Amino acid sequence: MDVKMRKENGVTVVSPVGRIDTVTAPEFEKVLTGLIGEGETRLVLDLQAVDYISSAGLRCILAAAKMLKPKNGALAFAALQGPVKEVISISGFASLFKIFDTPEEACRQV
Amino acid sequence: MSLAPRSPESGSERTPRGSPQDKRANDVQDPFPGDRRFSGELQSRLGGGLAFKLALFILTSTAVIYLVAFLYSYVTLRKEILADVKKDALGVTMVTLGKIDNVLGGIEKVAAFLARDLSGEGRTAAVMIRQMEGLLQANPEIFGVAVAFEPRAFDGRSRYYAPYIHRGPEGLKRILIGGAEYDYFTKDWYQIPRELDRSLWSEPYVHEGEGGDLVATFSVPFYRTAAGERGLAGIVRVDVSLDWLQDIVSRLMPQRQGYSFLISRNGVFVTHPRKEFIMRESVFSLADATQDEELRRIGRHMVWAGKDFVPLTGSAFGRDSWMFYAPLPSIGWSIGLVFPEAELFGNIFELNRVILMIGGVGFLVLLIVIVVISGTITRPLRTLTEKAAEIARGNLDVALPEIRSRDEVGELSRSFENMKGALKEYISNLAETTAAKERIESELKIARAIQMSFLPKKFPPFPERREMDIYATLIPAREVGGDLYDFFLLDGDHLFFSIGDVSGKGVPAALFMAVTKTLMKGMADRDLAPSALLEAVNGELCRENETSMFVTIFCGVLDLKSGRLSCTAAGHPAPLLIRAGKDPEPLVIGQGFLLGALEGVTYRTTEIVLAPGDNLLLYTDGVTEAQNGNREFYGEARLRRVAAVHAAGGTASLVDAVVADVRSFAGDAPQYDDITLLSVVYQGADGDSRRRDR
Amino acid sequence: MHPSVKRLRSDPAHRFPLPFYWVLFVAVAVSLLLVATSGFCAQALKTATFLPQWRPQAQFAGFYTAYEKGLYRKYGIDVTVLRGGPDRPAGAALAARQADFVTLFLSEAVQVRDKGVRLINIGQLMQRSGFLLVAKAGSGIAAPRDLQGRKVSLWTSFQVQPLAFFRKYGIAVKPVVQGETVNLFLRGGVDAASAMWYNEYYTILNSGLNEEDLTTFFLDRHGLNFPEDGIYVLEETFRRDRALCDAFVRASLEGWQYAFDRPEEALDIVMAYVRKANVATNRPHQRWMLARMRDLIGPKDPSVPMGVLPRQDFLTVAEELHRAGLTGGVPSYGEFYVFGPAKP
Repeated sequence: MDVKMRKENGVTVVSPVGRIDTVTAPEFEKVLTGLIGEGETRLVLDLQAVDYISSAGLRCILAAAKMLKPKNGALAFAALQGPVKEVISISGFASLFKIFDTPEEACRQV
Repeated sequence: MSLAPRSPESGSERTPRGSPQDKRANDVQDPFPGDRRFSGELQSRLGGGLAFKLALFILTSTAVIYLVAFLYSYVTLRKEILADVKKDALGVTMVTLGKIDNVLGGIEKVAAFLARDLSGEGRTAAVMIRQMEGLLQANPEIFGVAVAFEPRAFDGRSRYYAPYIHRGPEGLKRILIGGAEYDYFTKDWYQIPRELDRSLWSEPYVHEGEGGDLVATFSVPFYRTAAGERGLAGIVRVDVSLDWLQDIVSRLMPQRQGYSFLISRNGVFVTHPRKEFIMRESVFSLADATQDEELRRIGRHMVWAGKDFVPLTGSAFGRDSWMFYAPLPSIGWSIGLVFPEAELFGNIFELNRVILMIGGVGFLVLLIVIVVISGTITRPLRTLTEKAAEIARGNLDVALPEIRSRDEVGELSRSFENMKGALKEYISNLAETTAAKERIESELKIARAIQMSFLPKKFPPFPERREMDIYATLIPAREVGGDLYDFFLLDGDHLFFSIGDVSGKGVPAALFMAVTKTLMKGMADRDLAPSALLEAVNGELCRENETSMFVTIFCGVLDLKSGRLSCTAAGHPAPLLIRAGKDPEPLVIGQGFLLGALEGVTYRTTEIVLAPGDNLLLYTDGVTEAQNGNREFYGEARLRRVAAVHAAGGTASLVDAVVADVRSFAGDAPQYDDITLLSVVYQGADGDSRRRDR
Repeated sequence: MHPSVKRLRSDPAHRFPLPFYWVLFVAVAVSLLLVATSGFCAQALKTATFLPQWRPQAQFAGFYTAYEKGLYRKYGIDVTVLRGGPDRPAGAALAARQADFVTLFLSEAVQVRDKGVRLINIGQLMQRSGFLLVAKAGSGIAAPRDLQGRKVSLWTSFQVQPLAFFRKYGIAVKPVVQGETVNLFLRGGVDAASAMWYNEYYTILNSGLNEEDLTTFFLDRHGLNFPEDGIYVLEETFRRDRALCDAFVRASLEGWQYAFDRPEEALDIVMAYVRKANVATNRPHQRWMLARMRDLIGPKDPSVPMGVLPRQDFLTVAEELHRAGLTGGVPSYGEFYVFGPAKP
C-alpha cells in the first residue's frame, strides 16, 4: 500500500492508494497515528484512489478520529467514490465526519 | 520445511551410508553396485576431482610454457650454431683456399715464366730441356712439364714436336709426345688454351702414365715471330698431381664433423670421401640420380663460382645436412664442406635430451607436489563433505574435524561449524515456534467452537411456530470470525433477530462479538425499541473499549401476529426485502453509527409491515465484497439477482443458493471476510403463506 | 571406384578363361624342354667373337645383356665379347678377322666397305641418328643460319653428316677438330660442338648447363638421318654360316628387348662392364644413354621389327658419302644389307 501526503493551508491531505483491508490497515493506521503524533490535527483523507475499505480500515480511521478528539482536531473525507462511498455511508461515518467532493474543498473548510 | 528433524521412520528412506543391512538392500535393488554417490567419490579420487583438475591445468600450462621456451631456445641455439658454423667454415675455407691458391699461383707463375722465356728467339732444344728439368727440380709439386709446338713451329718440318719430362720411379723421365696415336692438337690441355688464346687449368684427369695419378694441367700459350708475324708457337703444359690438393681438402674437416669435397668446373668430384665418386660422379649426376632439382641448382651455383651456406634436403650428400661452398678462383673449381645436422646440432641434441629429462623429472615432481598439495586441500574438504552430508541428513550433532589452518579450507570448516550451530539454534527455535503456533491454533479452534456454539444452529429453530421460518449460516474466513447472527423469541409473538460484523478478525473480534451478542440478548426486551437496544448496547460496549473495535449491527423485532417489523442498523448494509412475487430491494432504513465506536450515538427505529410470504435477507459485507481472481466484488446487484431466483424456495434454499453462488464466483480466490447470511420469512399470523405454498 | 581400375585390380583368374592356364602350362613345359635340350647341346656351341665399336657403355647394353643373360648360348653360340675403344677400331678389327661380329656407324661401314672390306649389315639397330649440333643459347645461335662464320667443332671421323647440314643451309663455319671431350665447347673455345644425344649431350647437361641454356640441331630432323649403330659381319662369314649370323642377330635383338624391358637390371650389367674397363662415367649417364638408345633403336613404325635398315636411310648416307668424295660409289642396298631374322 502506498500513501501520499501533502500539506495545504495547515491541513494534511492523506491520499492512500489501493485497498485498505485487514492486511494493509495496520500500516495505514501507523501512518495516521504517526501524523497525529507529530502534531498534525487537521487531516483530510483523500480516498480518490482507494478501491476498497474494510471494517479494519474503518476502525483505524475511527482510532485516528478518537486520538484527534482530545486535541480538538478535525478529520474529513474527500473524493469518495464507488464501494468506498457506500461503505462510508452505510457505516454511518457520513453522520459523524464531514465529507467533501475534492480534497481542496475539504482543506478550505476543515 | 525439510530442515525439521525427522522421526526415525521417515528418515529411513534416506539411509545414511554404512549401515550393513541398508547396504544389502541397496545391492538388491540396484543392479549397478556403484551407486551414484559411490562412483562420485571414486571419480573424485581417481580423476575429475580437484587433484586431477589441478594436475591437468597446471601440467598443461607448464608443458606449454616449457615447450615454448624449449622450442625458442632450440631455434635460437640452432640459428647461432648455424651462424657459427658458417663463420668457421668461411674462415677455414678461406685459409685453405689461400693455401691452395698460393701453390697453384706459384705453378702458374713458373709456367708463365717458362712460356715467356720460350717466346724468345733461338732457344735450342737442349736449353729448353734444361730449363724444363730445372723447373721440375725446383718445384716438387709439379709432376711433369711439356712444351708442345704448333705443327712445324719448332723446326719448320715436323708436325708434332712436344718434349715431355715427368717424374718417374727412377728420377726424371724424358719422352716425346705427339703422333698419329696421340694427336695432342685435339687434347684439351692444348686445344682449349689455343682456341681461347689464354692460359688456363684443365679439367682433372687420370694420368696415362704409371700410377694413374689424378692430375690437372696448367697450360700457357707461348708466341714466336715467324716470317715477320708474331703468332702462337705452342703450349707450355705443367702437370700437377692432385695428391696434395686431395690431402688438403680432405684434412679440411675432422672426419667426425662431416666432410669436404672438391669439384671441377664441370662439377665432377676431384676429391670426395667416397673414392668411387672421384672422376666418376658429379654434383649433377648425383642430382640426376636422386631427382634432386635443388642440388642441381646448388651445383650450377657452385660451378659458376658461387659461394653460399645452404641446407641439403636430398639424399645425395646425406640427408639433413648443411653445406658451405666457395670457389677456388684461380682454377675455377669449387670446394664444399658438408655438415651433417646430427653433428652440427649434436650438442643441442644432447642438451635437448638433458633438458627434456629435466623437464620430465620436473613434471613428475610437479605432479607429486600437486597431488600432495591437493590432497592436503581435498582431504579435509572430503571430510567436510561427508560431515555436511550427514548434517543434511539431519544429524546436527556431528563433530566437524578441527582444522587449525588459517586458509580458506579452515575458514570453510569454521563456517560449517557456525552454520551447524545456527542451524541447531534455528531448528530449536522453529520447534518452539511451531509448538506455540500449534498451541494457539488449537486454542483458536476451541475459541471457534465456543463462538460457533453461541450461534443458534438448529434449523428450523421453532418448528412449532408457523408464523415465520428462519435460516442462517456463517462461513468464517479464518478460524474465528467477527461476524454474528442471532434470533430468539422475546415472547410468544415477537421474534428478535440480528446480524453483525465486528471490525477485525480472530480472537479479539470473536470476544467482542460474544460480548455484543450477550449484551444484545441480555438487554433485548419486547418493550425496548431496537434503536433503544442498540443505544444501550453501544453504551456498554464503549465503556472501556480501548481498542477502537466496533461492530455493525442490523437487528429487528418481528411481531408475528401483525407482521410489523421494527428494525434499526448501526453501520450495517441494509438487508434485502423480498416481497412475495416481487424483485428484491434493499430495505430503506435510517443508518446509525457503528456500534461501540462512539459513546452517546443515537439510532432510529424503522417500522414496516411484512405481508405473508415476504422474505428479509440479512447479510454481511463478506457476501457483497467477496472477490474473485480478478479482484472484482460480488456486489449487491448479483446478490439481488440470485435472491430473486431463489427467494421462493424457502429460507434455507435461498441462503444455500447465495452461498453456492458466492463460492462459484470467488472460485479459487481466498475468502477475506466472514460470509454470513440470515433469511427470515413471514408466513402470516397463522402460517398462511406456508399453507398457501403447500 | 572407376570400373577400369577395378578390372585392373581384379584377380587374374577372373580375367582369363581356363584355357589360359593350359597355354601357360604348355609354354612352361616347352621352355623347360628347351633349357634341357640346350644343356644337352652344350658341346655343340659355335664360337664367335664380338667387338663393340667403343668403350663399354649403355650404347651396347643389349649385347652385354644378351651375353650376361645367356641368350647367345640359348641360340647356340659361345660368344666372346671383346673390349672396344678408340685404340681398337672395329672396322679394322673386322677386316683383320680379329672379331666375327662388330658394330659400326652406317656411314663408317659404307666407307669401310668402299675401301674393300667386304662387310655386310645383318641388322640395323638405330633407326634415327643420335647426332646433333649443340650451341649455347646465350651465344645468339637459334637457327642453322646463325652458325654462319662461327667456330664449330667436328669429329674427324663423323664430318659427313654435319657438313651435309652446312651445305644444305649454305653455311660456312670455321671447323675445329673435336677431341674426346666437350670441354672446349664448355669453356667457350667453340660456338657449337658435335654431340651424340645419348652421350656428349648428357655430358653437357651434366656439367651444369640446362636444356633451356642450349640450342640443338638434331640432324635427322633436317633430312639428314644417318642412322648409326648396326651389326656387321664379313660376307665370307655370312656365307659360311648364315645360321650363326641369324642366331647372333636374334640373340642380340632379344638382349636389347630385355634391356629395354628391365632397364635397371641392364644398367647393373653395363655398370659392371664400365667398372671393369675403368671408364669415367656414372650410372645416371648410362641410364640416360639406355633411355636414348631405346628412343633411337625403336622403329618409327611399330609394325616393323627391330633391326631393319630402311632403303631410303641407306641411300641418304651412301649418296652423301659419295658426294663428299669419301667413297668411290654407292653400294647396292641388296648386297650391303641382309637382315637375317626377317627371313625365317
